[in-house]
Amino acid sequence: MLHARREEWQDTDAFLADAFERGWTDGLPVVAPTPEKVEAFLAVAGLEPETVLGAVPTREVTVTAEHAAINAVMAGCAPEHFPVVVAAVRAHLDEHGNCHSTTGTLSGAAQAVIVNGPIRDEIGIAYGAGCLGPGFRANATIGRALRLVIRNVCRSVPGFLDRATFSWPLRYSFCFGEDEAAGDWVPLHVQRGFAPEQSTVTVHSVMRMISSWDSSSRTPEGVLDTLVADTRHHGFTGDEFLGDQIPLVYVMGKEHQRFFFDAGWSKAQMQEYLFPRLTAETAGLHDRRYNLGHPENILIVAAGGAGMAETWILAPHLAWAVTRPIERVTLPA
Amino acid sequence: MTIVALDPTSGPIDPTGDRRLAPRPVSLSGQRLGLVVNGLGYSERFLDALGSELLAITDLDGVVKVVKSSVSVPPDPGDWSRLTEGATVAITGFGG
Repeated sequence: MLHARREEWQDTDAFLADAFERGWTDGLPVVAPTPEKVEAFLAVAGLEPETVLGAVPTREVTVTAEHAAINAVMAGCAPEHFPVVVAAVRAHLDEHGNCHSTTGTLSGAAQAVIVNGPIRDEIGIAYGAGCLGPGFRANATIGRALRLVIRNVCRSVPGFLDRATFSWPLRYSFCFGEDEAAGDWVPLHVQRGFAPEQSTVTVHSVMRMISSWDSSSRTPEGVLDTLVADTRHHGFTGDEFLGDQIPLVYVMGKEHQRFFFDAGWSKAQMQEYLFPRLTAETAGLHDRRYNLGHPENILIVAAGGAGMAETWILAPHLAWAVTRPIERVTLPA
Repeated sequence: MTIVALDPTSGPIDPTGDRRLAPRPVSLSGQRLGLVVNGLGYSERFLDALGSELLAITDLDGVVKVVKSSVSVPPDPGDWSRLTEGATVAITGFGG
């Protein structure tokens, strides 16, 4: 049985007008979360409405599967997307996801939802050309669903518990997959202890997203040296609560990947090369030490299409990257 | 055709209606000042200077300073106790 308060509207236009008025949206239209749609979402995930996905103790908020399903419907998800939303909400609400800080911060951190495993192709998670941008329903709505949970359930409303000075477009939605077949790299979720056939979500709080563009280098070392220089432009000081597990994510495009595949470099070799260079002492105003605890905290994700010799740096806000399995039931035929 | 839809929120922010801002004192005379340092930038230096200035120009009864153990989490329970038991007014700040 669903627990959320029900109301009746004259039609969907009336609902939408009221949703805007009550601040239930991110500024874009939403789908009316009817009880039938919400129940269908819960059925796909095999969850009871009252199943607890996590909590925000500082805000006295508990997030249930029903909360997540309502907001996933509103975001425009299809039912088969919902198990990914559930895993993303669980990851975000992990203690070390540090959700109160990452969603209340002045810096306006965003939540990157990185999807691995077979579910990517089953539900159409984009990981090739254009995958960080618009045009893909699964990416757009899953990322948006997490943000609507953060807004409507966890109360991160701008000017209230969302204190961002500017905020940024990544807070509308930020979800993409890893291109696991790009080469022979070990996929992110396998590096983090999951079986290849297990689909997962990794949520990474992003404080800055920086392009590392290098079309001149023709060696793995050259590409990585540019990456180090671009990463160290801002540096990172670390945090007592989060200790030595704060990650740094690199989303490496095809024109950079190929140098590593051709030379036989694994992700582990890249991590070993990068770690001492990122953590070397600060040398100047625009060359600042990156305080990482271990080489394994450098998470390398293959994605994107051909053309630009570019890697995106997803510099962290104050959280661990948290990976959770996607659990689902089979859709009825 | 009418539609029935569900409330997407976790309910009212103040369901019992008993939350309100603490009363503001008309004077700092006799008050004990709490300072909550978030650890960012020069916050400790700034709040130390502010506390010293207020001690010099008012009749404050003393200062209780709390420095958070991490910039990313609230003060720990021990620090909250020191504040609530030792201070009657408090100043904090935010920003990086």
